[in-house]
Amino acid sequence: MPETLDTPGVGRVLGTDDATPLSFWVALGPDQYLQLDDVVALERLLPDDDTVRIYGLVTEVRARHEGARFDSDVFLIEDGILPAEVSQAAQILATRFEPEIFVPPLPGQLVYKAEGDERDMALYFDVMEKRLPAGLTRDDEPLYANLEFLDGSRGAHVNISGISGVATKTTYATFLLYSLFRSGVLGGEAINTKALIYNVKGEDLLFLDRDNRDLEDEDRERYGRLGLTPGAFDSVDFYASPRREDPIAAPDVATRQTGLTSYFWTLSEFCAEGLLPFVFADAEDDRQQYTIIIHNVVAKLRDAAEGRPDGGIVIEGETITDFESLARMIADRLQDDLTSADWAGRAIGQGTVNAFVRRLFGAVPHLKHLIRGNVPNPDKHRIQRQAQVTVVDIHNLNDRAKRFVVGVTLRRAFDEKERAGQQRPLLFVVLDELNKYAPREGSSPIKEILVDMSERGRSLGIILIGAQQTASEVERRIVANSSLRVVGRLDAAEAGRDEYGFLPAVHRQRSTILKPGTMILSQPELPIPLVTQFPFPAWATRASEAAPGKGNDDGDDPFRGLG
Amino acid sequence: MPQKVAIESWDPDYGVPTTEQAEESDVEVDVGVEMPEHLWAPVPAQAEQRPEALLFIDGVRRVDANAWLEDGHSPVRQGMFASFAAGAVRVADQAHVDRVEVRRTLFAPGNPEAFVTRAGTYEPFGVATPGADALSSALQERLGDLEVDVAAGVAEGADLVVVDGPLYRRQHLPRTIGYVKTHRVQYLNGRPAETIAALAEGQRTPVFRFRTSWTRHAWYLRLPGPRRHAWSGVVRLEATADLPLDETLALANLTAGVLPRYASKPHKDPRAPQNLYPIAGLERELRRRLGDAAYVERALRAAAG
Repeated sequence: MPETLDTPGVGRVLGTDDATPLSFWVALGPDQYLQLDDVVALERLLPDDDTVRIYGLVTEVRARHEGARFDSDVFLIEDGILPAEVSQAAQILATRFEPEIFVPPLPGQLVYKAEGDERDMALYFDVMEKRLPAGLTRDDEPLYANLEFLDGSRGAHVNISGISGVATKTTYATFLLYSLFRSGVLGGEAINTKALIYNVKGEDLLFLDRDNRDLEDEDRERYGRLGLTPGAFDSVDFYASPRREDPIAAPDVATRQTGLTSYFWTLSEFCAEGLLPFVFADAEDDRQQYTIIIHNVVAKLRDAAEGRPDGGIVIEGETITDFESLARMIADRLQDDLTSADWAGRAIGQGTVNAFVRRLFGAVPHLKHLIRGNVPNPDKHRIQRQAQVTVVDIHNLNDRAKRFVVGVTLRRAFDEKERAGQQRPLLFVVLDELNKYAPREGSSPIKEILVDMSERGRSLGIILIGAQQTASEVERRIVANSSLRVVGRLDAAEAGRDEYGFLPAVHRQRSTILKPGTMILSQPELPIPLVTQFPFPAWATRASEAAPGKGNDDGDDPFRGLG
Repeated sequence: MPQKVAIESWDPDYGVPTTEQAEESDVEVDVGVEMPEHLWAPVPAQAEQRPEALLFIDGVRRVDANAWLEDGHSPVRQGMFASFAAGAVRVADQAHVDRVEVRRTLFAPGNPEAFVTRAGTYEPFGVATPGADALSSALQERLGDLEVDVAAGVAEGADLVVVDGPLYRRQHLPRTIGYVKTHRVQYLNGRPAETIAALAEGQRTPVFRFRTSWTRHAWYLRLPGPRRHAWSGVVRLEATADLPLDETLALANLTAGVLPRYASKPHKDPRAPQNLYPIAGLERELRRRLGDAAYVERALRAAAG
C-alpha cells in the first residue's frame, strides 16, 4: 500500500455536490475515464496527522457541458459557436475506511484507480481467509465471495433471483458449485462434499459430466484468471423420472439415452417412511380439517403394510402393487363404516373424509408412475447420492409430483444429515423455482423442510442454493437467511420491491438491463453489491454442446428386461 | 501607521457611476472612402466564411467593495476594490476559452499598499485624482490594458480578431476589429443613414472613416434576427485607419461573411442578436473566474478586520 499517491490520479473529489462518507462525486481529469464498477481509492489527512484511506466503487458516471444553459446550446457548441467544456464526473459509493474513521473526503482530493492489493482492500478480499472465486469484472479481474459466509462458519445459503431464460440463475448456481469443488477453497473436504441438484426446466443439467465443446480459448483463459481449470463435473449421477405406463420404468428423458437411472419409490417405502403427507400440498395447514386424516392414515400404513421383494405391499391380507390400488384401498377403508373409525380417527365427519379422498384421487394420475410396486430390482431406482453431484430431473413432472419428489428427497437428505450429527462434509442443494416449494403464503411439508433447512442447515451442513424469478413470492425467512444474495436480470416492477433492499438504487436500475452471464452479488462483508460476470460454462448445457462421454455409462439400458 | 481600510457598507452597485465613453463631440466623418456618397447602397451579403483561426476578446469587471483608506497623515481617501478579467475564445472546429487573465486591484489615490485577503491579494494601483469617477475610469483603463495583453498574446496568426467594444488603443493589433453593439451617437446622415436602414440581414454599409479623438475606418452590418425597427441587429465595426483601402475592404467583407453565424437568438440572450454567442459564453466564463462576489466581499471584510 503506497504512502503517497504514486499512481497518477483519475480526478479529484468535486465540491459542487455534497461529499459524504458514504457517497461522493469525483470530477475526472482531462483524458481520464472511470466506468461503472471501477474501484477507486483516496486518502484524507486528518488534523491530527492521521491518514484515512477511503475506498469505493464507481456506481454512476455522468458527463455534461459546462457553459451551456439551454438544452439546445449543445448544437451551438458542436457547431463551434458557443464556447463550452465537457466535464465528466463519477459517483463513488464508499466500501471501506482504513482505519474506520468515517469522515467525508474533502473536495479537491486526488482520487486514483485502486489496483492489485489496494483493489483487494477495497473489496475486502484481503480479509477473506477462504476466497471462493465468484466471477469476474468486465475487465476480467477476479471477484471473490467469502466462503465463511457459505459453509456455515459465519453464514450459509445462496439465494438467486431473476427472470427465467435471461437471468441464467441455474448456470450461475452450477458455476458456484464448480468453483467450490475445483478452486481448492474447500481443501481436502472437496472430495466428500456433495451436491444435490434438481433439474426443473428443460434438460440443461443432464450433461454436467460432459465437456462443453463450444468453449472458446478466451473462456478457458477466464477460468484461468479465477484459478480454475475448465472442464466437466467429475462425478455425477443422473436420476430421471420414469416414463408413464412403462413396466420397466425407463427414464423419461429425450436428449440423453445413457448414463442415467430412473427413480421412483416403492409402495413399501411409501408406507414405511410415511411419505403420504408429501402427496398433499397443504398437509400442514391447520385450517384444513382433512389433515388429521393424513396423519392417521400414515400411522396406519406404517403399522399395517408389509413390504414385498418387488416393492409392493401386503396390507390386511390384500396384495397391492400400484399406487392407484393403494389409494382405492385407503378410500374403501375410510368410507366403510366398520373400518373408518380405525383409519380416519374417531368422530371424523363424512365431509372431511370426502375432502381427503378427493385430494388423494386427484394426485393419483400424477404420482402413480413414481410410487409403484411390481418392478424387478426396486433398490436400483432409489436416489443414492453416491456421486459428488446428484442430478434429479423433475422437469417432466406435474407440479404436484415435483413437490412430492423434492419434498421426499429433501426430507431424506435432511434426516440423514441430522442422524450423522456432523456438519462436515457439506451437502449443497440447488433448487430453482423456490416460489413453488416455499411460497410466501400458506404452509406445506416441503415448505417446512426448506424453512428448517434455511434456519438449521447452517449447523447441519446443508447449504441451500435456492433460486426463483421473484424473491417477493418466496417465504421471507428463506431469503433472509441467505448470506449470499445474487440477482440476475429483474423485471422492473420486481426490482422496486423491498426484497431487493440490499441493492442501492443504481444497482436496482442496472438489474433490469443485465445481460445473461452477468449477476449482481451481495455478500455480508461488502456494503455494496458487486456486478460480476461468470465465464461460459465449461460443461455442456445441452446435447449439442456435449463432447463425447468419458466415463463408463452404466446407467439404465432401456432395452434391458426385454431380451 | 499602516494602511487602514474600512469597507463601504453599501452594495458596490449603488455607489459606482457607470463610466461610459465620454460624449463624443466634434466628429469628422468621411463617407467617401469606399464609394462617393451619392452611390451609397447596401453592399451585398457575403457567402458564409469560416476562418481557421477566429478569436473573440472580451473583458468583465466587478467592483468588489468601496473602501476608505487611512494612513495617519494624509486625509481619509476613498478607494475601490475591484476584480476584472479578460479572455479570448478561439473558434476552430469547436469554440474554446483560450486564455483568461484575472486581476484583483485596489484603486486609490496616492500610493496604496497591496491588500492580502484569503480570496487573493489586491495589487495596489495609485490614481492621480481623488473621487469615485477617477477610480472607475482607472478600472476601465486597466481592464482595457488587460484586454490588449490578452489579445496580443493570442492574435498571432489569427485570421480575424473581434474585440468587444471600440477599437480604441488596440488599433495596432493585426487583423483586429472593434465590435460596437450600442449606438449612442449617429455619425451618418442623409443617404448613408438611409443605407443603414435599408440593410438586409448580412449586408453591410460601405466603409467610411471618422475621427473623434482618434481616427478609424468603420462600417455597419446587420445581423440576422427579428426586425423591429430600422436599427434592429445593426452593429458597428471598426478597423484601424492605417491599413490600405483594399485590405480594409477585405476585412469588412470578411466580417460580413463571418459574424452573422455567431449572432444570438432572442430567447437565449436579452441582447440578441448583437451579443454574439462566443462573447456571451466568454463573459459568463470570465464572471465565473472572478469568483463568488459574496465570498470575495466576506474575504475583504475579514481582512480589513
